[in-house]
Amino acid sequence: MTAAQGEGAAPDVLRLYTHFGAFNLKTDDVIAFPSGLPGFESDRRFVLLSAPSYEPVQCLQSIDASSPSFLVVDPRRVLPDYRARLNQSDLTRLGAADETSLLWLAIVTVSDDGLSANLRAPVVINPARMLGFQLVPSDSVYPLRHPLFAEAE
Amino acid sequence: MLVFTRKRNDAIIIGDGIEIRVLRVGRDSIRLGVKAPPSVPVHRLEIYEQIVEANRAAAARRDLPAAVAARLGKKTEPTK
Repeated sequence: MTAAQGEGAAPDVLRLYTHFGAFNLKTDDVIAFPSGLPGFESDRRFVLLSAPSYEPVQCLQSIDASSPSFLVVDPRRVLPDYRARLNQSDLTRLGAADETSLLWLAIVTVSDDGLSANLRAPVVINPARMLGFQLVPSDSVYPLRHPLFAEAE
Repeated sequence: MLVFTRKRNDAIIIGDGIEIRVLRVGRDSIRLGVKAPPSVPVHRLEIYEQIVEANRAAAARRDLPAAVAARLGKKTEPTK
């Protein structure tokens, strides 16, 4: 990823060049992850990028540290009745009163076996506060690697 | 590493209000209670490490978005 302050652009607009495409970002687009993600604890600021070519997969791109990016998909696009549980301290971390209007994202892994989605540890974002974290449940009925779009093969 | 000897119901405190108490001592395991503010996530280490490993495997390389688009049967615009 490379970022450049566009010449003549408003000062809060950031031009971002990623593997996923080129994007103009505003400071309002930045989602804070106060604990980072497991394994990427120094990455505290992310943006969520969409491009028609990759629909329904989106890209969760860090704009901190080593700038890792993650392909993500709405877990309900994978399993329509998907439902992970949040407890009260999870909601407190998100600054959310309840679970309505939270954004859920499952991280996608590409391997020789194809695509899989991590349904066990989803990323949860409260769009109203632009706050997010990755849920690390001590027990979950969902797998770390759920085959993705297998029906297309 | 700091090492403490603690008896059942004894506790240690870390920083601002993180309390770890020994609740029960068995032959091969002990039961711990952890009190921490909501901003401090507490996890079993081996479960956290599983997620670390999964995240590292998922962190996208340059060719990955194109690989996904190919799977989805879509064309990608070349990145400038």
